[in-house]
Amino acid sequence: MSVASGRSIERLLAPLRQAGLQLRRRRFWLWVWLIALVLAVLVTLVWLASRYEASTLQAEVERDAQDAASDVRNALQRHIQAVQGLRALSGDQDAMWQQHAQGLLVQHRDWLRIESRSPDGRLLRSADSPHQSPVFDVRTRANWLGEMEQACQRAARQGTPVFSRSYFLPAAVGRAQEASGMELIELCVPHFVQGRVLGLDVLTYSLRELLIEQLDGRYGRRNELSFTEPDGTRLALAGSRRRGARLFSAQQLLDLPGGSALVLRLDGRRDAPDLFPNVLTALVTVMSIALLSVLAMLVKDARRRQQAEQELAEALAFRKAMEDSLVTGLRARDLSGRITYVNPAFCQMVGFAPAELIGRNAPMPYWPSEMADEYQRRQAVRLAGHLPPREGFESEFMHKDGTRFPVLIIEAPLISITGEQTGWMSAVLDISEQRRVEDLSRASQERLQATARLATVGEMASLLSHELNQPLAAIASYATGSLNLLQAPGAQPAEPMRSPALQEVQMALERIAAQASRAGQVINSVHDFVRRRDQHRAPVQAQAVLDAIMPLVQLQARKLRVQLDLQIEEGLPDVLCDRTMVEQVLLNLARNGMQAMGETPVQARHLQFRVRRAAANAQQAWLEFAVIDSGSGIAPEVAEQLFTPFFTTKREGMGLGLSLCRTVIEQHGGHLGYSPRAGGGTEFVFTLPVVLAEATALQ
Amino acid sequence: MDTPDGTVYIVDDDASVREGMAWLLRTRHLLSEVFDSAEAFLAALTPRLSQGPLPSGCVLLDVRMPGMSGLALFDHLQAQGVTHNWPVIFLTGHADVPTAVATVKRGAFDFCEKPFSDNALVDRVEQALRLSAQRRHEAMLRQQRRDLLGELTERERDVMRLIVEGLPNKLIADQLNISVRTVEVHRARVFDKMGVKSAVELSNRLREV
Repeated sequence: MSVASGRSIERLLAPLRQAGLQLRRRRFWLWVWLIALVLAVLVTLVWLASRYEASTLQAEVERDAQDAASDVRNALQRHIQAVQGLRALSGDQDAMWQQHAQGLLVQHRDWLRIESRSPDGRLLRSADSPHQSPVFDVRTRANWLGEMEQACQRAARQGTPVFSRSYFLPAAVGRAQEASGMELIELCVPHFVQGRVLGLDVLTYSLRELLIEQLDGRYGRRNELSFTEPDGTRLALAGSRRRGARLFSAQQLLDLPGGSALVLRLDGRRDAPDLFPNVLTALVTVMSIALLSVLAMLVKDARRRQQAEQELAEALAFRKAMEDSLVTGLRARDLSGRITYVNPAFCQMVGFAPAELIGRNAPMPYWPSEMADEYQRRQAVRLAGHLPPREGFESEFMHKDGTRFPVLIIEAPLISITGEQTGWMSAVLDISEQRRVEDLSRASQERLQATARLATVGEMASLLSHELNQPLAAIASYATGSLNLLQAPGAQPAEPMRSPALQEVQMALERIAAQASRAGQVINSVHDFVRRRDQHRAPVQAQAVLDAIMPLVQLQARKLRVQLDLQIEEGLPDVLCDRTMVEQVLLNLARNGMQAMGETPVQARHLQFRVRRAAANAQQAWLEFAVIDSGSGIAPEVAEQLFTPFFTTKREGMGLGLSLCRTVIEQHGGHLGYSPRAGGGTEFVFTLPVVLAEATALQ
Repeated sequence: MDTPDGTVYIVDDDASVREGMAWLLRTRHLLSEVFDSAEAFLAALTPRLSQGPLPSGCVLLDVRMPGMSGLALFDHLQAQGVTHNWPVIFLTGHADVPTAVATVKRGAFDFCEKPFSDNALVDRVEQALRLSAQRRHEAMLRQQRRDLLGELTERERDVMRLIVEGLPNKLIADQLNISVRTVEVHRARVFDKMGVKSAVELSNRLREV
C-alpha cells in the first residue's frame, strides 16, 4: 500500500522535478548572461576611459605642436628683424658689420652664417658661426648658389624677406664628424632704399639647430621634434627619443615668408594609459552599484518585512476575532499541565477571568471539588502522553458560582514549529443545553411510546372484549331465552309433573347465563382497567398537538426522504380531547402515510397535515384533521378490511393501528374516514369536537 | 304484566348476536326484525315513512358496525324524527360509558353493555315498546282532538277561547255581543263536541293539542 502510494507520488512528482530542473538550468544561463553583460560593461568602461585618456594625450601633443609652430614662426620673425637691424646698425662699414654679425652669431646658435651681398649676388661680406666650423666652401659660396639665388631673386622682386626651400648640404671633406651633411634653409632679406634694392642679407640656418635652439628646451624633453617635407620626408630631427609605449604624433604646417613651407612634426612617446586606475575606477563603480543594490534590497526587504508584519498582525487580529466569536471554549496547557491560554468563551463558561486561570495547575478552580482526584488522575494519564479519543470525552465542570455543567472535551497535542509537543490544546463544549434537549426529546419520545404501548394494549383489550362479548352475548341470550321457555306458563307442565331432569336443565341454563355474565364482567373489568387512564380530556390547540408529534414525524420523514407540509387554518378554537391519544392517532396516520410512499419517486413524496373547521351544528362544532399522503393509494381488497382488527399489510404490524385510531376518535365522538386523493395517495380525515365557547368561559 | 305490541328492530353486524337476541325476544313473545347493517335498516325504513304513522316499535342498535356506525344511524334517525316513535337502545360491546351517556343525552332511550343481563334488557325493550305504543296512542289522541277542534264552528271556537281564559258567561256575552243564553248554548255544544265536562278539563285538552 505504502509502496504503491510512494510510487504513485514519485510518478506525480516526476514532471515537477523536470520542471524544477529546467527552471534551475534557465536560471544558471541567466546568471551567465548577467555576468557576461557586467564584464562587457566593465571592459567597455575601461576601454572608453583609456580611449579618453589617449585622446587627452593626443590633444596635448597637438597643442604642443601648435605652440611649437607658433614659437618657430615668432623666432623667425625676430631673426628677420635682427638681420634688418644689423644692416641699420653697421651701415656700410665693414668692421662694424663684422662686430655686430659676430655678436648675433654668438647669440643665435642656430645661425650658421650671415652674408651681405650686392643686389646682383656678389658676396660683399660674410661671417660664420663661431660655434661651428664653417660649413661652406668659400669659393663655391662666392656666387649665387641654387636655392639661395632663387630666394634672393624672389626677395629682390617682391621686396620682402624670403626663405629658400630647404636643401641638403653634403658634409665637407674632413668634417665627417657630423653624419653625412645637414639640411639647411636660407633667409634672404632685401635692403631697399627709395624703392631700389641696394643689397641683400642672407642668413643660413641649420634646420636641426633651429629645432634645438628654438624648441628643444620646451618640447624636446617629451617629444621628438622634426621638420619634414609636406610629403613626409624627414629633414631634421631633434629632441629625445624616449622609449615609450605608445606614440602620439602631431604635425603642424609652418609656412615660411616667401612661400616655402615646412611641416613641423611632434612625435610624443607617452606611456599607454594605465589599465589599473581604470579598473580601480570600474571596481569603485561596481562596488557603489553593489552598495546601492544592497541598499535597495535592504529597503525592499524592510518593506517586505513590514508588509509581513502587517499581514501577521492582521492574521493575529483575525485569529483573535475568531477565538472571541467562538462559543467553543479553548484551553491550552503546557506539558506540566499549567494553563497557558484560555479564550473568552472558556472564561464565560467557567466564570473565571483569564488572569485567574492562566498559570494555574491542577487542581483547577473549575473542577468540581469531589471529582478533583479523578481529574488529577486523568491529567496525569494525559501528561504521560496517552492520546485522548479523537471524538472527545464527556466530563463535568463547575462554574465559579458552583453550578455544575456537563462538557465535551476534545483534546489534541500542541505541536510547535520544530515538531515537538509543547502541550495540549482542548476544545471545551458546554453540552448542558444539548443534554437538556436530548432529555426532553427522550422524555417526550418515551411518553409517546408509553402511550402507544398503553393505547395498543387498550385497543387489544377493547377488541378482545368486543370479540368475546359478541359470542358471550349470544350465549347469554340463548340461555335466558331457554329459561324463559322453560318458565313460560304454557310450556310448563304442572308442578308435580316437572321431571327432575328438566329441573337440572333449568339449573344448568341458569348457570350458563351466570357464567356468561361473569365472563363478560371479567372482560369488562380488564378493559376498564386498561382504559381508565385515557379519560383526561382538556382543551388543546391543534397546533400544539401537531407540534408535539413533529419531531418524531420529521425523524422518520428524513429517513424516508418525505417532505412535510403543515396547513393549519388561522384562529382555530381549541379542541376537547385526550391529547396523548390524539397524538397517537396522528402519529399512526402519519406513519402509515409515509410507509405508503415507499414506491413513490423521492421528489413526489409529500405528506400533508391539514387542520380546518368542519361542519358545525347548533350544539357542537368540529375541527377536521387530515393526513394526506401521495402514496400508492389503497387497493380495493385492502379497503374492505381496512379497519378490521388484526388485519395488516405490514410484515411487522399487529393490525391494530387504524382500528385503534378509530376507537380513539369515536370515543371523542368524532369520526374517522378516508378517501382516495386525486392524482394518487390517500386522505385520512377525522373530526374532533371543539370546546364550546360556554364551556371555555366557565373554565 | 302483558306483553306489549310492536316490533323490535335489531341492527347488529354479528349474526350470532342478532339471532340470539331475536330468539330471546321470541321467548318473551316479542316480534323482531333483524338487519345486518345500518344501511339495510334504512333501506327497509324509508318506504315505510311515506306510508303514514309508524307502528309502535323500538330499535336495538349496535354502536360499532362496519360501514355506517350505530351512532351515525342514530343521528340520521333523529333527524327524521323516527326516534320519537321508535326509542333506540344502544348495544355496546365496549362498555364505553361516555359514548353511551352522550347517546342518552342526545335522546337515546338507553344503552346496554354486552354481554347484557338479558331479561333486564328485554324488560327495557318492553318499556320502550310501551313508550312507543303510548306515544303512538298520544299521537292518535292528539290527532283526534285536532279533528274535534276542526269540527267546531267559528263562533263556538271564539266562545271556547274565552272560556279557557276563564271568563264567566256574562262577560263572554258582552265581549261577543251576544246574549248570555246563546253563550250557554255554545258552551254546552263545545263541551259536548270536545268530550269534556268542565272548563278545566277543556283547557287541559287544548294544552295537550
